[in-house]
Amino acid sequence: MKRRWIIGALSIAALVWAATVAAAYKAIRRFESTPGLAAIAPASWPIRSGVQRAEGAWTLVMLVHPHCSCSRASIKELEAVLEKAPPSVRSYVLVYRPHEFPAGWERTDVYDAATRLRRAHVLIDEDGREAALFGGFTSGQTFLYDGDGQLRFEGGITLLRGDAGLNSGRAGIIRIANTQSGKGTHPVFGCAISTKPAKGEIR
Amino acid sequence: MSDTTTTLRAETLRNEQLQIRRVRIDRMFAVLLAVQYVAGIVGALAVSPYAWQGKERVLHMHVWVAVLGGAGIIILPILLAIFRPGTVLTRHVIAASQMLSSALLIHLTGGRIETHFHVFGSLAFLAFYLDWQVLITATVIVAADHFLRGIYWPESVYGVANAEWWRFLEHAGWVVFEDVFLIWSCILGSREVAASAARQAEVEHLSEQEQLKSAALEMAIAEMQATA
Repeated sequence: MKRRWIIGALSIAALVWAATVAAAYKAIRRFESTPGLAAIAPASWPIRSGVQRAEGAWTLVMLVHPHCSCSRASIKELEAVLEKAPPSVRSYVLVYRPHEFPAGWERTDVYDAATRLRRAHVLIDEDGREAALFGGFTSGQTFLYDGDGQLRFEGGITLLRGDAGLNSGRAGIIRIANTQSGKGTHPVFGCAISTKPAKGEIR
Repeated sequence: MSDTTTTLRAETLRNEQLQIRRVRIDRMFAVLLAVQYVAGIVGALAVSPYAWQGKERVLHMHVWVAVLGGAGIIILPILLAIFRPGTVLTRHVIAASQMLSSALLIHLTGGRIETHFHVFGSLAFLAFYLDWQVLITATVIVAADHFLRGIYWPESVYGVANAEWWRFLEHAGWVVFEDVFLIWSCILGSREVAASAARQAEVEHLSEQEQLKSAALEMAIAEMQATA
């Protein structure tokens, strides 16, 4: 009787084992490969933005949620982009902070990593106002504007959610910045900064 | 006791010694799997505790995967280690689970290259069984994981979307490199156990013969004393 009970329990455990392994793979796969909400970016630099754009200079803007662990990969990729892009490209990391959260809420490892980037200016984006002006909803969303303020690239620069490494987003933005020609886009992977606004709320 | 009896006794002793060793290692792995499970949860909570949607936060998928996926991976090997210690099935399931735990830990630490060393450390632990076939099971699991993910999800294992189909061979090759030495050590270790068992059987045989001689001598002395 005891032997039968043990065999039954082990059989159930074997089924749970196989099912869990398959389910865990599927869950991770779905989580990491599902992009965030794509930007609805205006074709040119948002004139109401508080971010300073130097006329004639190419400008890169990345939106970041400071508590999004996946955005560590975005910052890492941004570092790679800034190493390969021409030094004349000005870059900004806009760190989201809701006004009702205490000061210092945004001081996370993602924030610290952004401040360590040699050629990036880190600015606080209170309540995601700048993100709304740029039309981005997802942490890691990156925009590249040319010297005339025209949008040349929008999207993410990571391979998957939280996965740094070679990818067409990173390669695309480097190519556009170096050749100063073409346009590009790439899915963005990260936490949501805000939900999609109703039509007409952007800008 | 004849030579055949000594040989049979040596084989019995060898099997007993290996069984005791393997039961102990099964239990060691049961504890290790449980510790790794807790470490996985702690790691997930430390590295990526929450996913955010603006101001709202929810438990990160990695925490759920560490809790539920990790539990699913370790439940069968731990039950087998408790109720069927020392069996061939138990150590092969443990080997497979240990490799799956490696894959899970690699994910939970964001694919840190350092966590990949868990695979190589695990293979070394598995060699304690002195059963080289266990290493084959572990290697097949690692190679299959890399092969299948290389085809369907290459970014997650190689970091690039356009990896060559044969790239898993490169990764598996390093595992095989370690396997060669571990399998060799398993075979040598197994031979040492067999040699030790043979020596013990021989000692037992000699001791038994001495006891028989002593008994015969005592009997002869007793008979002499009785007739005197």
